[in-house]
Amino acid sequence: MTRRQLYTGIVSLALASVIFILPFVFIFLTAVKSKQDASRLIFSWPVEWQFWENFLQVLQTRNYLLLLAYFNSTVITVFAVTLLVLFGAMVGYVLQRRPSPWNKVIYGFVLAGLMIPPAVVPTIWVLQSIGLFKTITGMIFIQVAYGLAFSVLLFRSFIATIPRDLDEAALIDGATPLQIFFRVILPLLKPVTVTVIVVQSISIFNDFTNPLYYLPGRENVTVQLTLYNFQGQFQTQFNLLFMNILLVTIPPLIIYIFFNRQIVAGMTAGAVKG
Amino acid sequence: MVTQKSPYPYWFVLPAAIVFTVLFLVPTFASFWFSLTRWDLFSTQFIGLENYAQFLREPFLIQGTINTLIFAFATSATKTVIGLLLAVLLTSGIWAQGFLRTVVFFPVLVSTIGIGITFAALMHPTNGVINVALASIGLPGPGWLTDPVLALYSVIIVDLWKGVGLATLIYIAGLATISQDYYEAARMDGATRTQMFFRVTVPLVRPATVTVVTLSLIGGLRSFDLIWAMTRGGPGFSSDVLASVIYKQYQAGFYGLSTAGNVILFALIGLIILPLTVWFNRREVDL
Amino acid sequence: MTSVVLKDIRKSFGSLEVIKAIDLEVEKGEFCVFVGPSGCGKSTLLRMISGLETSTSGQIVIDGEDVTHAEPSKRGIAMVFQSYALYPHLTVRENIGFGLSLAGRPKSEIATKVEKTAESLQLAHLLDRKPKALSGGQRQRVAIGRAIIRNPKVFLFDEPLSNLDAALRSQMRMELTDLHAKLGATMIYVTHDQVEAMTMANKIVVLNAGRIEQVGSPMELYNNPVSPFVAGFIGSPKMNLYEGEVAAAERCGTYGIRPEHLILSKSGGKWRGQVRHIERLGADTVVYLDHPELKQIVARAPGDFEVASGDEIYAMPMSGKEHRFG
Ligand SMILES: Nc1ncnc2c1ncn2[C@@H]1O[C@H](COP(=O)(O)OP(=O)(O)OP(=O)(O)O)[C@@H](O)[C@H]1O
Ligand SMILES: [Mg+2]
Repeated sequence: MTRRQLYTGIVSLALASVIFILPFVFIFLTAVKSKQDASRLIFSWPVEWQFWENFLQVLQTRNYLLLLAYFNSTVITVFAVTLLVLFGAMVGYVLQRRPSPWNKVIYGFVLAGLMIPPAVVPTIWVLQSIGLFKTITGMIFIQVAYGLAFSVLLFRSFIATIPRDLDEAALIDGATPLQIFFRVILPLLKPVTVTVIVVQSISIFNDFTNPLYYLPGRENVTVQLTLYNFQGQFQTQFNLLFMNILLVTIPPLIIYIFFNRQIVAGMTAGAVKG
Repeated sequence: MVTQKSPYPYWFVLPAAIVFTVLFLVPTFASFWFSLTRWDLFSTQFIGLENYAQFLREPFLIQGTINTLIFAFATSATKTVIGLLLAVLLTSGIWAQGFLRTVVFFPVLVSTIGIGITFAALMHPTNGVINVALASIGLPGPGWLTDPVLALYSVIIVDLWKGVGLATLIYIAGLATISQDYYEAARMDGATRTQMFFRVTVPLVRPATVTVVTLSLIGGLRSFDLIWAMTRGGPGFSSDVLASVIYKQYQAGFYGLSTAGNVILFALIGLIILPLTVWFNRREVDL
Repeated sequence: MTSVVLKDIRKSFGSLEVIKAIDLEVEKGEFCVFVGPSGCGKSTLLRMISGLETSTSGQIVIDGEDVTHAEPSKRGIAMVFQSYALYPHLTVRENIGFGLSLAGRPKSEIATKVEKTAESLQLAHLLDRKPKALSGGQRQRVAIGRAIIRNPKVFLFDEPLSNLDAALRSQMRMELTDLHAKLGATMIYVTHDQVEAMTMANKIVVLNAGRIEQVGSPMELYNNPVSPFVAGFIGSPKMNLYEGEVAAAERCGTYGIRPEHLILSKSGGKWRGQVRHIERLGADTVVYLDHPELKQIVARAPGDFEVASGDEIYAMPMSGKEHRFG
C-alpha cells in the first residue's frame, strides 16, 4: 500500500464516519437515554444509561404489540421466502430447460413484475373478494407475487450453468420430473437459493408500503407498521422511538454480517450483463 | 410426430402463475377500468376520463407528478455519479477499503421508516443535530423539512444517503470485469488519471451504468416510504409524489382517483423506462 | 439373436433432417461402434435409442420389445455420458445407487449392490468421496458403475473417453473391452476416433450426414470399403484418393491406395515424385511426395527407410491392394 492510499483511506474513513456512521451512533445513544435527555435530540453522551428500562418499556407498550409484530413479520417472511424459492426455482427451471414460444410471454411478465408499481386499490378489491384482505395469508401471497420476478431471473440464470446431462442421467435412472427437480436440481441450487433467501428476507422484513395497504388494523401489525405507529405515539418519548428503530435495525445487521457475500451476489446480479 | 412426456412439465409454472395472475396481473388490468369510475369498493359509477382530468386540473395533483419526476431524476443522477466515484475510490486499494464498502452499503439494508424517522430528528429546524452543528460554526440552518421549497430536496438527500451504497456495489461489480490491460495500455499511451477515468472506465463500465440508472429511476418513480416517514408529503403538498397522492386519495376514499394515479404512475414509468432501454440497447450495438 | 433393431428411423429438428431412414440390427453381446465426422448424427441416433430424443418416424425394438414410445428408464438401457454427468452433490456411493434408491429398493439391497459394483471397478476405497475429488479416469469408472448396477440389456456410450488424456484413454479402452467380455452385454458406442472404433468394435457403423454408409467388422471395412468416404475414414494415415484423369486412367470414378500399400524405391515404380516432408514415427516413416498429376502421395515406409527432403523417388502400388470406386 502506498502512502497516498493510506492517507486517502484515512480521510475517506473520517468522512464516512461522519456521514454514514454518525446517524447510527445517534440512534443508539438516543435509544439508551432517559426521556428528558432524549427529547433534546442532541448528539451527546447519555446522562444516565437506560438500555434495559427502555428496551422493556418498548416491548411492553400497548400490551406487547412489538412482540406480536415480530411474530407476524417473521411468519410472513418465512412463508413468503419459502414459496419464493420454490416457485422461483420451478419457473426458472422450466423457462431455462424448455424453449417454447411461451417463454417470451413469461419474460414479458417478469419484466412487468420488476417495473410496474402494483395497483393497490384494485388489489385490495381482489383480496377482499377472495377473503384474504387484512390477513397474514394474503400478505404472504402478495409478497410472493411481488418478489417472483426477481427470484425467477436469479434462478433461471443459475440453472443455465447446470449441465442438462444431469437431468438426462436422472431420467435414465428412472426419476420422475418431480424427482429430477427435487433430488438433482434443487440441491445444486444452494448458492443462489441462499442469495434469494437473504435478499428477499431483508426486503420483505423491511417492507412498509404493502402492510400499510393490505394489513390495516391492530391484530396483524408488522414490525415496520409498529414503528410507523409509534412515530405518532412517541412524539415526546424519543428514547423509546429510537429503541424501536434500534431493534428494527438489528436483524438486517446480523444477516449482513453472516451473509455479506450472498447479499452482494444478489444485489449485483445483472450488473455485468445489464 | 411421436410425442413423449417432457421431463420439464408446464405445471411447474402453474402455482407461481396463479399467484402472479390473481394478485398482480388482474389488479393491474382492472386498474384501467377502475380509473374510469367513481368507486367506493362496493359500487362503481362510470365517469369516463374525469379522474384523469382532475389530475390535470388540481394544482396539488400536478405538483405531485412534477415532484415525482424531480425526485426520480435527482436521486438517479446523483446515485449514478456518486456511486461511480465511490466505486472507483473503493477499488483503488485504499486503506480500510473493505470496511468502507460495508459502511457505505449498510444503509441499503436498514428499514426505510427507521431511517426516515432518524433523519427527521437530525433535520429538526431548531434542535436537530445538523442545524446545531451549523450554528456552532456560525451558519444559519434552514428548515430542512419545514420549508416548502426545501422539503423535497431534503428527502432526496436522505434517499441518496440510503441508496448510494447499492449503486456503489453494482459499480464495484462492474469495475471488476474491466481488464487491467486497458489501463496499462492507456498508461503506455501517456493517459492521465482523469483521462483514464473518462476514456476507459466510463465507457467500459456501461452495463453497470445501465443497471444503476434503470433500477434507481424505477425505484425513484415508485418511492413512497421515505417521503411518507419524513414529511407525509408536506408541508402542504410541497413534497407529495404520485405514490403518496395515491395513498392519500385511498385514505380519503377516492378509490377511482387513487387508481387513476396508479395508472398515471404506471404510464410514466413506461414512458421513461422503455425508450431508455431501447436507447441503451441501440448504443450497445454501436460499440 | 438380435438385441437392438432400428427400422426406418428418422429424426428432424424443425425442417432440418438429421437422421435419414436408418435401418440397423445389433446382435446380442455385440460391441457396436458408431463412427462418423462431427455433426453426422451419431449422438442423435444414440439418444434416440436411449429415448432421450424422440424419433420423428420409424420403430425401435430392444430385446424383442417395441420401445419406440417407451420412457428412457423403461427401455432396459444404461448410458455413459461424455461429461460423465455425475451428480455433484452426491457421493460416489449415492451416485451409483441413485437409480435403485429412486426405485425405492431397500437400503440393505442398495448397499450390497453398490459395494459389489464398486469392487468390480476398483472403486471401493472411493465410495464416500464426491465426484469433485476424483480424477478423470475414476469419474469415468463411477459413470460406468452407475450403468452396470442397472443391469441393462444394452449399454450406450457417447464418446466416453474424449475427456481423457492419451495414456488414460488407451488404458480405458482395454478396461472397456474387458468389461464387455466379462458382462457379455450389448454395447453401442459412439466415437469419432477411428482407433477406438478399430480396436474395440465387433461391428462398426459408419455414418455420414445422417445415413449409414457401411456396416461391417473392422477388417471388412479396412479391406473392402464400399465408398471413398469409408475408405478415407478408416485407416491412418488416410488412404490416397484420386479422381479425375488419374481415376479415369484406372477406369473408375475414384482411385484409392493406402499409404502402407505403396512401395517406395529409388530405382523405379509407377509414379515418380519429389519428397516434400518426412515424418519419422520410429517404427514407421511417413513420406509425403509431390507429384505433378496426383498432387500429393502419402506413403508409409519402414522406420529406417533412408530418404531426405527434396529426393526424387518412385512409388509403386502393391498389386491387389488398389481400390476402385464407382
Ligand atoms: N436439439 C437440436 N436442435 C437442432 N439441431 C440439432 C439438435 N441436436 C443436434 N442437432 C443437429 O443435428 C446434427 C447431428 O448432431 P449430433 O449431435 O448427433 O452430431 P454428432 O455426430 O454426435 O457430432 P459430434 O461428433 O460433434 O458429437 C448436427 O447438425 C446438429 O447441429
Ligand atoms: Mg456427439
